[in-house]
Amino acid sequence: MRSRVLGVVTVAAVALFTLLPLTTTDPARAMGLPALLDRSQLRGLTTISMFVVLTSAWNIIGGLAGYPSFGNVAFFGLGAYATALLTDPDHGHLPLGVGLLASPLVPAVVALVVGFPLLRLRGHYFSIATLGTAIAFGEVINNMDFLGGATGLFPPIIRSDLLFYYLMFGAAALTVGVTWWIMRSRLGHGLVAIRENEEAAAVLGVDTTRYKIIAFVVAAALTGLAGGVFAGWNSFVNRDNVFPVDYSVQMILMAVIGGSGTISGPVVGAVGLEALIQLLAGGSGVYTQILLGVLLAVTVIFLPRGVIDFVIGRSRLTLAHFRRSLRQTSV
Amino acid sequence: MSAPLLALSAVTKRFGGVTALDHVSFDLAEGELVGLIGPNGAGKTTLLNCLSRLYRLDGGSIRFSGMDIAKLGRHEVARLGVGRTFQVVRPFRSMTARENVAIGALFGSDRARLPPREAFRVADEVIDLVGLGGRGHLLVDELTVPDRRHLEVARALATRPRLLLLDEVMAGLNPSEVAEALEVVKRIHASGIAILVIEHVMQVIVGICPRVVVLHFGKVLLEGDPSTVLKDPRVVEAYLGERYARRVRGSRGDG
Amino acid sequence: MSLLAQQLVLAILLGGVYVAVAIGFSLVWGILNIINLSHGAFIVVGAYITWTLFGRLGLDPFLSLPIDAAALFALGYLLQRGLINRVIRAPVFFTLLLTFGVNLAIVNLLLAVFTSDFRSVTPPYAGSGIVLGPVVIPSIRLAAFAIALLLAALLSLLMRRTRIGAAIQAVASDRDAAQLVGIDLRHTYALTYGIGAACAGVAGGLLSTVQAISPTAGEPYTLQAFVVVVLGGLGSVTATVVGGLLFGLIEVFGQSAPGLGAGYANAIAFAVLVIVLIVRPQGLLGR
Repeated sequence: MRSRVLGVVTVAAVALFTLLPLTTTDPARAMGLPALLDRSQLRGLTTISMFVVLTSAWNIIGGLAGYPSFGNVAFFGLGAYATALLTDPDHGHLPLGVGLLASPLVPAVVALVVGFPLLRLRGHYFSIATLGTAIAFGEVINNMDFLGGATGLFPPIIRSDLLFYYLMFGAAALTVGVTWWIMRSRLGHGLVAIRENEEAAAVLGVDTTRYKIIAFVVAAALTGLAGGVFAGWNSFVNRDNVFPVDYSVQMILMAVIGGSGTISGPVVGAVGLEALIQLLAGGSGVYTQILLGVLLAVTVIFLPRGVIDFVIGRSRLTLAHFRRSLRQTSV
Repeated sequence: MSAPLLALSAVTKRFGGVTALDHVSFDLAEGELVGLIGPNGAGKTTLLNCLSRLYRLDGGSIRFSGMDIAKLGRHEVARLGVGRTFQVVRPFRSMTARENVAIGALFGSDRARLPPREAFRVADEVIDLVGLGGRGHLLVDELTVPDRRHLEVARALATRPRLLLLDEVMAGLNPSEVAEALEVVKRIHASGIAILVIEHVMQVIVGICPRVVVLHFGKVLLEGDPSTVLKDPRVVEAYLGERYARRVRGSRGDG
Repeated sequence: MSLLAQQLVLAILLGGVYVAVAIGFSLVWGILNIINLSHGAFIVVGAYITWTLFGRLGLDPFLSLPIDAAALFALGYLLQRGLINRVIRAPVFFTLLLTFGVNLAIVNLLLAVFTSDFRSVTPPYAGSGIVLGPVVIPSIRLAAFAIALLLAALLSLLMRRTRIGAAIQAVASDRDAAQLVGIDLRHTYALTYGIGAACAGVAGGLLSTVQAISPTAGEPYTLQAFVVVVLGGLGSVTATVVGGLLFGLIEVFGQSAPGLGAGYANAIAFAVLVIVLIVRPQGLLGR
């Protein structure tokens, strides 16, 4: 019953977010549809889709496998640079389609290589080592002249907000679909077993190293795809806009607020939080960041299992729940 | 005579300066039920961790059905047919009992790797076998302490092992629960699975194990049939002297 | 040869700064098992206090260090008491998130108040140095180095010779037993975190005299502190001192390696981190 409701909601949401953008001012006029959205709202939806990709992809390694990477933004940046390098007129000068193909591949290969040492670490060590990786990658790329140094790269400008919306929305749908598939497969069961107790998983026959690497590589590839689409959309990449450490934390925050380790939690978290951020301050600004910090604190303290926990009925949103979750973790 | 299922030869494991296992050798045949006993700190659990490749050996070798375990990954040992339980249970807490057991069926020994749907069917069978029937839908936190022990056994059993290592699955149970657990062990053994039962309290396994191995300070003290072994003065001393031994270890600060 | 000697001197002096940067971080990690991602922000707060006092009142930067320490102690104590204590028994990942949230809030508050401009503290003696043959020892850096080591010594003394130190050690080794003998857990945790923050404040004051500061400058400090602690090993002041000095050497000589430069500071730090974690996870002096 509940799964049928969830199915209907999913189909409705997909239909809405596929059709609604057609009512953006210009295409709506061309097709004789009512204009319900303006361009900046469409761009807002694209950004929301982007965070759905980042958050859901993070969820595969952080939520399912229990390895909370603080460095996933590195894969976003690498994907963006891969696409930018191939499409920039001064470099590859290839069509965007070709550039996008490289965006999941490069981060996937990098994840495969750095995954072996990183995924041997646990807890704090893993988190900080991934954070360090992301900072280091940004820094190295920033110093490489053939990647445009600090100036960055400039993929050709393609003036179609609608195209990039559909690309990003497609990436989001793909990421959620991949998560759904993983959670039903042997891989998903193995990842959750690793999260809950890695040694117990190993003695039951789970190839823990291989599974962690797979999860890391898949997360990297999907995150990189979002980076590639972003590169084409923004037609300008440099360290500051594709390697911001804040993104790493934002995706974790969104996953945790929504409910990590589930399919819908990260989506709910990304959509809800990014919509809130855009409503408040148009997506950036000092006060939004302060609010994010406060939200982070409040979530961690009061909603450790995320809002989806309440939506799917595992917990009731009551004062008693808050008191209980506080008692469990405080001194 | 065929090669033994499990052959330990001169197995040695050190932690810093402490030798936890010192040239331990014994065999176990296909389908055999062997008890491994010894006082606290004798190295029983260390041996088990070596068998399931959680530890690397510092010397000697362990062969399982002709394969050298040292060359295998932890999961490969499991898939080859070595199942084990943990003395301090290690359930997957976010899962139900049934899901826990299904993990074993999903990943266990190669001949038993099953697609998810069938894994859950096997899980249901195993849950009945160990006496958890009707409680498969419960979360681990909702199970009683004896049931968590049974879950540990069920999960290992679902991997379809050829050798099952049971690490003090009866510790802390009351007499009727022990009797029940012994029944489960007998049932598993009757299905043709070889079992190495580790117990601290030796009386528990006297009744069911035709052969026991006594470990003391990391060495095999002796092995044989339980009635002779338990009467052996060295074994009696090992157990009676335990309190004294513990005091000595305690004063060294590593007990 | 003289270039090498000069670099060696600068590396050792820089190492002193790293000791100051890492010492509070190490304490909080070792005792509370918290990776304090707001540590860098605390350092920057300390730096801004020194800068403000110097700019407004003309107070010598070294004289403002006790004020930095006191202010940051209060901030740290309140944060631990009010926020972090509430998730201290949650998975470590949650304290990471919480302290990052605190970091985000502090950094952006600083941005709102001080803007993103780079500031520096330049007392009249800023350019002076001691000349020893071919080598020049900048006097400010030397003073910062000395104070960093003094800070380490004071902390070591505090932990070993005082009631507070004994309580903190007791809590670290066995929380329940400590409570049984009458130690107030919440207070002790908050004290520990406060002392860690106070060390960060002093580090910030010192840093403001040797580097330009901006609100967003804190992140690398957290990473550096982490690397220093991993390098030296967790659990003792001495280990942090060794780790800090060693890290100074690695940074200076790493950046002067062919093909690298100052732009690679964090990349070098990270490479060191990963190598140490793989080769010797308990650090050089770790248990």
